[in-house]
Amino acid sequence: MSDLNITLAPPGALPGPASLRERLARWRERGNWIGLILPLGILFVWQASTSLGLIQPVFLPSPLATVQAAWKMATQQNLHMDFLVSISIVGQAFIYGSAAAIVLGVAAGLSSRVERFFGPTFDTIRHIPGIAWLPLIVLWLGIGAPAKVLVIAKSVFFPVFLNTLQGIRSVDKNHIELAQVLTLTRAQLVRKVILPSATPSIMVALRYSAGLAWALVVVAEGLSGIQGIGFLIFRAQGLLLTDQLIVCMVIIGLVGFGIDRLMFLAQRRVLRWKQGFDG
Amino acid sequence: MSNAGSLQIRGVSKRYQVEDHRIDVLRSVSLDVRPGEFISIVGPSGCGKSTLLRLIVGLDDDYEGEILLDGARIARTSLDRGIVFQDHRLLPWLTLEGNVALSLENAPWPASRKREAVAEHIALVGLERFESAYPHQLSGGMAQRAAIARGLVGRPGVLLLDEPLGALDALTRVRLQDELLRIWRAESVTMLLVTHDVDEAIYLGDRVVVMNAKPGRIVADLPVGLPHPRDRSSPGFGDLKRRVLEHMQDYDLEVASA
Repeated sequence: MSDLNITLAPPGALPGPASLRERLARWRERGNWIGLILPLGILFVWQASTSLGLIQPVFLPSPLATVQAAWKMATQQNLHMDFLVSISIVGQAFIYGSAAAIVLGVAAGLSSRVERFFGPTFDTIRHIPGIAWLPLIVLWLGIGAPAKVLVIAKSVFFPVFLNTLQGIRSVDKNHIELAQVLTLTRAQLVRKVILPSATPSIMVALRYSAGLAWALVVVAEGLSGIQGIGFLIFRAQGLLLTDQLIVCMVIIGLVGFGIDRLMFLAQRRVLRWKQGFDG
Repeated sequence: MSNAGSLQIRGVSKRYQVEDHRIDVLRSVSLDVRPGEFISIVGPSGCGKSTLLRLIVGLDDDYEGEILLDGARIARTSLDRGIVFQDHRLLPWLTLEGNVALSLENAPWPASRKREAVAEHIALVGLERFESAYPHQLSGGMAQRAAIARGLVGRPGVLLLDEPLGALDALTRVRLQDELLRIWRAESVTMLLVTHDVDEAIYLGDRVVVMNAKPGRIVADLPVGLPHPRDRSSPGFGDLKRRVLEHMQDYDLEVASA
């Protein structure tokens, strides 16, 4: 991989961006295509079982009917509006939750007094699932987006908070000693040594909680509200529109996959200094 | 212009109390280092040689006696004393350039002078073209050179070397020994090298200070007096090596007869 090139040659000599063809060839070489076998197999079994009439369309519509339903939802039923509603809730919740978590995580990591102050409260709140908070929050804030943003932000908060704290606490003692030898001030120590050394564990938590937030929005919308992918999926079940239900499931899966890839790329970019980092 | 520092270590003792018995890590260690001298400190593990460096660099203030740099008592860490550790201790998230520059974070110099000093010292250790490489992209020898550049970039009066070549393979090690001599001459800095390799101590030092353990103390201070470049197979080198080893073995005999 490209890491090897850098080890042997000075970094100036890195190969430029590869052409599409080269990248395709490399992709084939690396064997990533074997990841496609299983989904194609499932699609095949799905198609076969519906066209052989083994299963009724109300339980499982054919792939073609599902594609048609998707087209209909996209062109006539404002599917994109529901999608935007869901993704904006996730985006806001992720940003608010993780920003608060990083700020408080750093504060608690740097001062055990702060940690002791928040510790018992956080450990209790953490054990009440976000979904259990939803009814009360909806009572306060209504069935609109704010209640969902708050509940999902809470679920994003804890993994990021705990990993930030952990990352800051596990900074290498030798690096602290080095900072002392170089006469770094406390602010310089935090900025140059402690924060960077905590980034790997913060990034892992961000990637994990981005996926979690997306999964939770579906549940939250199913439980309350009249908009969003999660709402559509439960409505489709009620109306026995199984094809629409499957369209929503596929969208949820694909978007979740996309979010994870995106977070992986962000992680790789931020942690490019890390040895042998492969995610 | 030479800014090499002189170092006086006077009656330095350091002990740990472990439950009810006392461990003398260092007992009345005294050593005078002239400006620009290259001192090798050699001894078995546990003789306190690394502890002595930690005291000189200022990481530990809890000792008896005094350590003076150019006549002034040292207090805490300072940019006038540089150190190179056995593990290169480069920060993995900073490039080579960033790591070297970290030394100058609090130097009272204008930014342009800092940039020049960083480039100059990266060149001094032969790592031009690797400025933007991350530590994991460097070999062990290169990383150790970078650590030496970081130790020297602030123009300290004394550079302390704590077994800097200990973790390298034999070939890289011999090559870096010559590099160290070249750098020492180019920078005209006072150097204190701690090592457990007697050959290395004699090859590099103006004087070889032999330490022994239990209690940690200096047992001999031998001038080398051989011209550079030194031939490791010459009779003079062999004689000195025998004397150093004899002083180190005193320790074994004492323990055996006790």
